Amino acid sequence: MEHTTDKKSALSQGVIIFIYLAILTALEFGIAIALPNVVLLLLVAVIKAGLVAYYYMHIYRLAREDAGEDRDSYAYRLATNRLGLWLFLLSDSFVFGGLLISRINLLGLERPALNQYLGLFVTAVLLISSFSMNRAETSIEHGDKKNFLFWLGVTFVLGLGFVVGVVGGEWQLAKLEGVIASRDVVGGIFYMMTGMHAFHVTTGLIFIFLVWRNGRRGYFTAEKHWGVEAAAVYWHFVDVVWLGLFLFVYWL
Amino acid sequence: MKKFYSVPLARGLVWLTIGLAAGIAFVAGIRLALGLPAASNYLFTEHAWVFGGVVGTLAFLASHGVMSDWFKWWRGQETSDHHDDPAGWLKYLGPSLDHKVIGIQYTVAALILLVTGGTFALIFRTELSFEGQQFLQPGQYNTLMSLHGMIMIVSILLGIAGMMNYLVPLLIGAPDMAFPRLNAFSFWLVVPASVWLLLSMPLGGVEAGWTGYPPLSANPSIVGPQMFFLGVFVAGWSSILGALNLIATVVRMRSKGMTTFRVPIFVWAAIATSLISLTATQLIGLSFQMVMFQRLFGMGFFDPAKGGNPILFQHLFWFYSHPAVYLFILPGLGVISELLPVFVRKPLFGYKWVAMSSLGIALVGFLVWAHHMFTSGMNEYLRVPFMYSTLLVAVPTGVKFFSWVATLWKGKVDHPMSTAFLFVVGSIVVFLMGGLTGPPNATVSTNLHLHDTYWIVGHFHDTLFGGFVFPFFAALYYWFPKATGRRLDEKLGRWHFWLIFPSFVILTLGMMRIGLLGMRRRIFDYDPALGFQTWHIVLTVAAFLIAISVLIFIINLVQSVKRGESATGNLWNSRSPEWQVPSPMPAHNYETPFEVVGEPYDYGLPGSKYVEFVKK
Repeated sequence: MEHTTDKKSALSQGVIIFIYLAILTALEFGIAIALPNVVLLLLVAVIKAGLVAYYYMHIYRLAREDAGEDRDSYAYRLATNRLGLWLFLLSDSFVFGGLLISRINLLGLERPALNQYLGLFVTAVLLISSFSMNRAETSIEHGDKKNFLFWLGVTFVLGLGFVVGVVGGEWQLAKLEGVIASRDVVGGIFYMMTGMHAFHVTTGLIFIFLVWRNGRRGYFTAEKHWGVEAAAVYWHFVDVVWLGLFLFVYWL
Repeated sequence: MKKFYSVPLARGLVWLTIGLAAGIAFVAGIRLALGLPAASNYLFTEHAWVFGGVVGTLAFLASHGVMSDWFKWWRGQETSDHHDDPAGWLKYLGPSLDHKVIGIQYTVAALILLVTGGTFALIFRTELSFEGQQFLQPGQYNTLMSLHGMIMIVSILLGIAGMMNYLVPLLIGAPDMAFPRLNAFSFWLVVPASVWLLLSMPLGGVEAGWTGYPPLSANPSIVGPQMFFLGVFVAGWSSILGALNLIATVVRMRSKGMTTFRVPIFVWAAIATSLISLTATQLIGLSFQMVMFQRLFGMGFFDPAKGGNPILFQHLFWFYSHPAVYLFILPGLGVISELLPVFVRKPLFGYKWVAMSSLGIALVGFLVWAHHMFTSGMNEYLRVPFMYSTLLVAVPTGVKFFSWVATLWKGKVDHPMSTAFLFVVGSIVVFLMGGLTGPPNATVSTNLHLHDTYWIVGHFHDTLFGGFVFPFFAALYYWFPKATGRRLDEKLGRWHFWLIFPSFVILTLGMMRIGLLGMRRRIFDYDPALGFQTWHIVLTVAAFLIAISVLIFIINLVQSVKRGESATGNLWNSRSPEWQVPSPMPAHNYETPFEVVGEPYDYGLPGSKYVEFVKK
């Protein structure tokens, strides 16, 4: 798929990617329930992560050489900021990598007793929030402040819904199922992984709130909106991490 | 009082205390309200201490002023990249954005921790000089020994960060680091980190060694390990953010013409180091966090009774902590390669190979961690692959030695040798001793015998002194005039070198000898029948001689800042850009930018040029 710059096709590209993600998630869920094949599940998760990283997080922008020579220009600093943010994400992904390895080391391929439908539901909420975040970012790229604020608000509400779903729903249900932090290592690793991710989502929500408030004051324009881009890339990163955790917590 | 409060560091520490108290009160209050016990042997339960530590860290950072620009951004305001620093030494206590000020802050903090950790070592070294118990309790011994390790590690992290912060922007011709606020933030994280590390002492101490292996570090009867883990966690973030900043700076802010293979060797070393600290540090953070949570919430990650696995901790821990030793030494080895050509007036032998060897050490370093675990009970089939990957590290390290020897070959050195050069040569010798004693530890058959003996202690002190401490001193003697416009005293410098070098060699050779004969590391006492008494006295005397030499250095440093011989020109006749402008360096670095027009280390080649300043 080509990268489009005009607003309408940029927005519809977001829709198409979202449909792909939804279909792949449904497929993944089907595989996980019907024929739990680890290799297939990993493959689908990697494809999903790749779609988000490329189309929603715009990783290709790192390689862009059009920032010019003027070190003090906004474009040059923007490119430096992007590199800094991606280095941070690289560093952060090692935390989750360590958690995934710990999970395999401690539990092997044993599947904890968790509510699969609630897991699918919170995953869907987070994926939709990634889609709305993409719409918000695309809107501000074209100077559409009204839609930008609207979709950013939607993202915030969905993100909040995700945290409530995990902490308020999944954690309480898991407790009833006997997955308890201090009882055994199954509970320990489940709360550690989901808790670490919920912490990241919470920081993302604070970030989105600050961007939304500054956006309402007219701080961002079509040309200068690094704050929005950073919040969006971070939010999609948290989403990608969940794609991995969803697989490792619920299905392996 | 008002004046005291206006000093950012003092204000931060006041709020750190308030934050600690508030956090403790909050958790203790909740526990009381829920009817849970709120008191322990150490006043409050560890939940309260840990939460207090987290709140105290945030309170320090928020009140100190290092985040004030970010607070403004969050309110939607723009800020300037240049803040006016207060005149004089007060700027070193505040949130300056200037990479040179931050570099000096790091360096001074590193020296303070070096002296602290060194004092701990002297205390327990004295205890060990005679058989039987002298004046320490076993618990105190363990605490001093554990904190000596971790405080020295933090000191090394600060020392390399100091060198990298001060030098890298100057060497690549950048006005500052890519993210100046983040740079200041990274440094100021270290203050709360050091406070928590030291606070672990009154809270029962740390008995598990610097590695903090559970189950010993999960012993719930003392609170100390929690503060130790918290301190390391915060210091780790300082290291991660500093590395992020450095990579972005080198990638984005090199001056014109500085292509991949015209970057100074020290910058290559800094990049290799930063790649390790950016990524692997997260794993030690995670492993320590998991022990903290095991203690706080009973999550049994490393508790076999709950299905946990203590070996997992060792894997996560060493995945950082082995690459970390390469992280400690790479900048030092970069300093050696940087300084040798200047002093012997010859091109650096094999520039590209040296540059790539730094990256090679960093990358192979990620594949060797389990060689610390040959006796730990991990799967036996893992031993041989990790043995070979470890031996592989000797190849890129050997490349560096070949380069140094070939660069020294037939070089002409000024007489008398300057202290900086003495330390360069000293580090090559000491690092060679450390390097040669490495392969016996990597080889499984000998490792099983050597594991946890004093031989290992001698080996890694050699690598860290040769790879960090000696080059760090060399760098201080070499670049001190750049920072201050004055030289360190050469006579005191020679005293410093000729005291520290022989005593250090005797110290580590002695450690290795009694280690081979069966002296265990980390123990409070030893069997008189082993006959180590004389050696332990020799080791203690050597340790005190090292301490005296460092004291001489500190006196030299303090004196020379004010009264040192003036040196504003190109003191070493170097080709490097920072020496082409007068010392001390002006606030915004180069007033006219430079362009790289030649190879960096073509010393002694007539007509060759490295940089050219662009006339405006």
